[in-house]
Amino acid sequence: MARISFRSMLLAGVLAVAGPLGVASAQVLEVAVDASPVGLDPHRATAFSTFQMINGTIYEGLTAIDKDLRVTPGVAESWTVSADGKAYTFKLRNGMTFHDGSKVEAADVVATINRVLSKEIASPLASRLAALDRAEAVNAGTVVLHLKEPAAPLLVSIATIAIVPRSMEMEKDALQRAPIGTGPFKFKEWQANGFVALERHAGYWRAGAPKLDGIKFNIVPESATRQVGLASGQYAMLPNIDAATAMQLKGRPGVKLAETLELAYSFVGVNTSRPPFDDARVRQAVNYALDRQQIIAAALFGAGVPGGPLSPALKDWAMPVSEFACYKHDPAKAQALLKEAGHAGPVAITINVLPRQDIRDMAQVVQAQLNKAGFRVELKNQELGQFIQDWRNGNFDMFASTNAGSPDPDDYFFRTFRTGGSTNVFKYSNAELDGLLDGARTMQDAGQRKAAYAKAQGILACDGPVMHVAYGQLFTAMRANVNGFEIIANRSLSMLADTTSR
Amino acid sequence: MALRLSALQRLLLARLLDLAVVLVAVSMIVFAMIRLIPGDAVAIMLGANTEVTPDRIAALRAQIGLDRPIHEQYLGWIAKVLRGDLGTSLWTGRPVIDEIAVHVWPTVQLTVLALVLGAGLAVPAGCLMARLRGGGADAAMRIVTVAGLTIPSFWLGIVMILALAMVAPSLQLLGYVPFSVDSVGNVTRLALPAFALGLPILANLSRLVRSAMLDALGQDYIRTARAKGVPERGVVYRHALRNALIPFVTSVGIMTGYLLGGAIVVEQVFAIPGLGRLILGAIAERNYPLLQATILMVTLGFVVVNFLVDLLYLAIDPRVRA
Amino acid sequence: MRLLWFAVALVVVQGLVAGFAGFVAPYDPVGQDIMARMQGPSAAHWLGTDQFGRDVLSRIIHGSRTSLFVSALAVGVALALGGTLGLVAAFYRGWTDRLVMRAMDVLFAFPVMLLAIGVVAVLGPRQETAAVAIAVVYTPIFARLLRGPALVVCESDYVTGARAAGAGDGRIIFLHVLPNLASVVLVQTSLLLSAAILVEASLSFLGLGTQPPTPSLGLMLAEGRNFLMLAPWPAVFSGMAILLLAFGLNLLGDALRDTLDPRLRGQP
Repeated sequence: MARISFRSMLLAGVLAVAGPLGVASAQVLEVAVDASPVGLDPHRATAFSTFQMINGTIYEGLTAIDKDLRVTPGVAESWTVSADGKAYTFKLRNGMTFHDGSKVEAADVVATINRVLSKEIASPLASRLAALDRAEAVNAGTVVLHLKEPAAPLLVSIATIAIVPRSMEMEKDALQRAPIGTGPFKFKEWQANGFVALERHAGYWRAGAPKLDGIKFNIVPESATRQVGLASGQYAMLPNIDAATAMQLKGRPGVKLAETLELAYSFVGVNTSRPPFDDARVRQAVNYALDRQQIIAAALFGAGVPGGPLSPALKDWAMPVSEFACYKHDPAKAQALLKEAGHAGPVAITINVLPRQDIRDMAQVVQAQLNKAGFRVELKNQELGQFIQDWRNGNFDMFASTNAGSPDPDDYFFRTFRTGGSTNVFKYSNAELDGLLDGARTMQDAGQRKAAYAKAQGILACDGPVMHVAYGQLFTAMRANVNGFEIIANRSLSMLADTTSR
Repeated sequence: MALRLSALQRLLLARLLDLAVVLVAVSMIVFAMIRLIPGDAVAIMLGANTEVTPDRIAALRAQIGLDRPIHEQYLGWIAKVLRGDLGTSLWTGRPVIDEIAVHVWPTVQLTVLALVLGAGLAVPAGCLMARLRGGGADAAMRIVTVAGLTIPSFWLGIVMILALAMVAPSLQLLGYVPFSVDSVGNVTRLALPAFALGLPILANLSRLVRSAMLDALGQDYIRTARAKGVPERGVVYRHALRNALIPFVTSVGIMTGYLLGGAIVVEQVFAIPGLGRLILGAIAERNYPLLQATILMVTLGFVVVNFLVDLLYLAIDPRVRA
Repeated sequence: MRLLWFAVALVVVQGLVAGFAGFVAPYDPVGQDIMARMQGPSAAHWLGTDQFGRDVLSRIIHGSRTSLFVSALAVGVALALGGTLGLVAAFYRGWTDRLVMRAMDVLFAFPVMLLAIGVVAVLGPRQETAAVAIAVVYTPIFARLLRGPALVVCESDYVTGARAAGAGDGRIIFLHVLPNLASVVLVQTSLLLSAAILVEASLSFLGLGTQPPTPSLGLMLAEGRNFLMLAPWPAVFSGMAILLLAFGLNLLGDALRDTLDPRLRGQP
């Protein structure tokens, strides 16, 4: 009794003081995100929380990806490709400046490329430039990228390679804390685990943008706190939230939702170099055992679609899942396949689980479904560090994870599934697939490429080392007065340049 | 050396010596503990979906100093710590001392506010409880205070957030604003978490106050005072509160430990950018220098608080000195 | 006295329900029924269902079992280890005492949750390591708790007499000293069990304890808060269960202290 009345007293007291608060400067967008960035250097970042905050806001690449996932001009206003497909000539925008006021010139682009490739910086983006031979500044406004061999996905790959001032080429740590780019917003302040504040870049090249005076990314890990904050108007936007959060905000007064199908997908992957998954029949059995709709219902709160090797968001490339025979939920068939593969009793396997809520949820359903289809599954919920180490070393039977996906199929397929590919941790090797991927890589004809990747998807869906589970629906929740923002399937917040909040 | 020390001075000296031994041992444990954690900072630094080559791993390991023998790493670390250099965060390149400086205030604020709230409310609550005596009321109070002691702070926090969302969704009571930015908002937004954290302290202390009050009421000198016609209320309160002070002071050390631990969880629930978040984040990303330094500093703070409590105890309780 | 019986009844009922979880729980705690997910309390599911359509009541019953098991294991180990160290320190005095108690001081120097988190970080987040972490944290507490009263008992004529009669050290410590400390042990074990329940729940809540799909109260709370506004029952009821477990044991310890040691009546 005493406690209850005390609490109401406290609330009443707080009510009295809290009244006049909440009148924020109208044109600074208060955004709440779940995780702190781990450094703001675009070439060293590996965390999604960093990319979301910097790409398309602070930084821009030579090219850009628009809201329909198509390549558009970025720092380069135009480009031409040589007849042999081995030289890309980029013409830079005139009069463009970095946030520190210096001019953007070809030397900056060359320095950026060299920075990404340098051993010292050890950029994870280096693998995207694997085909690059060298970058050459022809004059202040022209850059040529010379390739060792033609590489169709180059224009997509370079969109996320942020152009930084040449003075940063050898600087290892400076950008982590004080980023300098060419984007619509420039860095203002970072209070660790508190917020990252950006302000308008007055010298931005696109007339009339950005419309906001600034953005404040508040770091708020607790989902309920973010929700209450948006409902109360303390925050104006919760970008790229999952379905569970979105459902809880749906229909709240003053709140609106934007949604799109995500490019990223959840999956389970297996080690094809050791039993039991060295046998393609056991891999197929997993596919038959999975009921993807149920997984979507439980782990994604119903907001998602079953997915094959490519996201349905990539309308130009993706094959419909109805084309894949093994995507039919059929536990009996799965058990028959296991028997055929010589397994008499239940097949004991361990699943390493990425420490992220939707993936942990997915893994629990996968476990239940596989257990009903002739497997005996143990879940190993790992910490991120251990998970990555095991992932890298191929130290797993099966793992449950998520992948960001890419607007170009080659970017993903080649390094993930080609024999010896840089992230082929599954040790998967299929000569037919290798041939398709090698061929498609250098094809300039879109129709031919599409046919090759259709075939590759067919192989990967049922024989491959990855059982693609689902592509989730992605949401952004906003206050009703936030306009001009559109949600993008790759989670980019570049549309903030065109956003207003009045 | 014919240095003559009083008993008290000798006691102080012994305590200081103990303190030094404990600190060295603590630093060794913290250092060893973190090196024993499975998973390697380097693996996470290079991240998922990256081309990882043995060269790159070796280069990074060397850069962080993981390639040296462990005793060299420890001595190097300690030497730097003694010079006030806690190293730099693996991720941001920022000096660890700066990271701690930013995160320490919300935690200190939260714990102090919880302590003040708990202790402050305990006095009226305890006095009130002392008035209600007798079988039924005793049992009821016992049950309420035990419940207050055992209510999980994170659950209480979540329930309060839920209630807030349902009852008054337009109130801005969540999140954290620095005192320098918005002093009123700072306190109002810390009120709920401080209450969630401070409730067990309130429960604990109100019982202390109650029993001290009851004791005081039964004492001879109270009866004497009463007989002399001294206004009863003032005497009872003064004596009772003084009696309650000693057990209170002795338990401040333990309570500080509880508060620091509880703060880790409560900060997580209420999105307060304090040391708890720093520690959990550092564990997740294997930020060795940051984790080491933070645990060391928090423990150091805890040890020093306990040391001061010891001294305070000596100061206020004459029996110990004798 | 009535309070003591109330506390005993509460703890016994909880212990029986948890102990016979398999018989008491109406459903399989990990059995999923995705079609029946996130339902409110009903006749079929008294406390509703979670995001996988699992019965919340059954998970709470099995989760209580996990909680009690981990806490009892941890406190048992801490009592055996810390208690022995405390008795040995008190019995031999001198250097043994100093060495043991200094070592305990070092462990005691860490805030409880911080040390527990550190231990879990080293050993990896699992149910067993949560138990180890709690045991490590409580060992110095038992050592300190028992050393003080043991010092007094060791000085007593009773022990001096036993020694004069030629009894061995181990025999004296465990047959003569320990039984005299039974009431202290009983009270503190009960109180620390209550605290251990909360630490275990906190660790699980932070993802550092029991791992899914094993039912655990702290974990249910952590998972439930992700959809708190859609279906509050898993989070709300699992928290209540934690409260009830910790409450019963704390009340028991409290009432025991009053009964066994009247001098301390009314003290916190």
